[in-house]
Amino acid sequence: MILKYCIALFFGAGLLACSAVNTITVESDSVAVTDRYASPNIIDSIVSPYKVGMDAIMDSVIAFSPNDFTKGRPGGSLNNWSADVILSETLSLIPKSGPVFCLLNVGGLRNPINKGGVTVGDIYKLMPFDNEIVMVEMPLSTILDIEVYLKKSGGEPIAGAKIISGKLKLDGIHKDTKSYWIVTSDYLMNGGDKMNFFEKRLSEDFAGVLMREAMLDAAISQDTLIWNNENRISF
Amino acid sequence: MKTESHFKMERRTFIRNTALLTGGTLIAPSLFAAIGNPIEVADSAKGLNTLTILHTNDTHSNIDPFPDNHAKYAGKGGVARRYELIEQVRQQEDNVLLIDAGDIFQGTPYFNMYGGILEMKLMSELGYEAATMGNHDFDAGLEGFVGAQKHANFPFLCSNYDFANTPIDGLTSERLILQKGNIKVGLFGIGIELDGLVPDLKYGETKFLNPIEKANEQAEKLKEEGCDLVICISHLGYSYDDDRVSDIQLAKKTKNIHLIIGGHTHTFLEKPVEEVNLDGETVLINQVGWGGINVGRIDFKFDTKKFAKKDVLVVQ
Repeated sequence: MILKYCIALFFGAGLLACSAVNTITVESDSVAVTDRYASPNIIDSIVSPYKVGMDAIMDSVIAFSPNDFTKGRPGGSLNNWSADVILSETLSLIPKSGPVFCLLNVGGLRNPINKGGVTVGDIYKLMPFDNEIVMVEMPLSTILDIEVYLKKSGGEPIAGAKIISGKLKLDGIHKDTKSYWIVTSDYLMNGGDKMNFFEKRLSEDFAGVLMREAMLDAAISQDTLIWNNENRISF
Repeated sequence: MKTESHFKMERRTFIRNTALLTGGTLIAPSLFAAIGNPIEVADSAKGLNTLTILHTNDTHSNIDPFPDNHAKYAGKGGVARRYELIEQVRQQEDNVLLIDAGDIFQGTPYFNMYGGILEMKLMSELGYEAATMGNHDFDAGLEGFVGAQKHANFPFLCSNYDFANTPIDGLTSERLILQKGNIKVGLFGIGIELDGLVPDLKYGETKFLNPIEKANEQAEKLKEEGCDLVICISHLGYSYDDDRVSDIQLAKKTKNIHLIIGGHTHTFLEKPVEEVNLDGETVLINQVGWGGINVGRIDFKFDTKKFAKKDVLVVQ
């Protein structure tokens, strides 16, 4: 669809005197890039050697997806899968006693996992960033900050805890509990997505593993990805 | 004839006569018919007074078309097809300007494996004439950007990042002027606040400067330098619920900008949105989603006519 605007411009000595009139016609279009434009060209030959090298690694099928995994707010099947696997992979690397849950960000999940064969490349598209997994020790008082943050954002991927009517439900908190652990990414711990409550952290432990590597490991070990669309967050 | 003065896109003269809008490609013939026979001094040479702007944003390393099993955009996009589309427009139009509003990097394994080099090579081949840096264009770090940028033959326009004491220092420009036929086009780039969006280590000592102040400064300079059309290439994002600076705010709080080509929020606009600037003049804002799914096209056609003293213009 072509849309048209017209802008008529007047300047000079006024409308009655000798004056120049500028007209600017503006037409616009949002042109869809489709196979209508598919004909072999120079781009293919530039891309080709890069693609061959990439496909050799990325096209390898490592798991099967029984359903589409999609992200959403307050939750989604991709939110749950991502948070679940980051939590379980991390706990096997750096086991901690005490309350622990996983908190990621919706914005960091960059692509759905589609039903069917899951390739290495699919996991790269889901988690393209080189973010590292980190366990962050937080004072108990920050639970309120997290509740406020989640309410404002509308929900982020969590595992090992639930938000019920806006309140964080986390097992293992007793009356003498002073801190708890959050499994997350270095990006979020360092203030990414304005998760400023991480500034109040007491300590941190890097897992030495990228988020993407943990997801690749989990996909391979699950073989058929565990699809779980349970609602973990309500306000 | 080249227009001597700068365009004043005043709200009161922004004609909204739908009959005129739908009736033809140009408002001018209808207007002129109403007022007699103006003395025409305009350059009638076809093409010299027209400019076709093609633009993308947030292509995010999407080099191949989206796969056939993609949940949302199966079979859409692809750089080879974009090339074909652009070439077709270039064959039809004399003056084409191709620009990108940032976030060229990150999103497919092409970036993970090759660090953005292929993206730069392809954009150079497509004939991009300017781009601005998005937040994800810092994802390879500053050194990584330098390594990829070596393969780009077009300038990166960044006016509100201070790259002093970083490896990027001197590799970007604040603004650019391009002569397109009779039209002198001024371009500058505006980037988004990196704090909280990009890991600190990735952007190092880069300083973020006030986007509104820098935009006003750059647009004013381009006006002084005689540009007929001033385009801001922005990665601020289209609009926000909170007080973050957006393209909408940028348009409202500045002067001398005619068009903002935006990015970051992955907003699919069907047509440019109009805003009103500090001087009451119209600013157009456009953005075409992400991933190279669409290419935005905006055609400007400029006409200058001169009238005799007794003529009276009636604008509805």
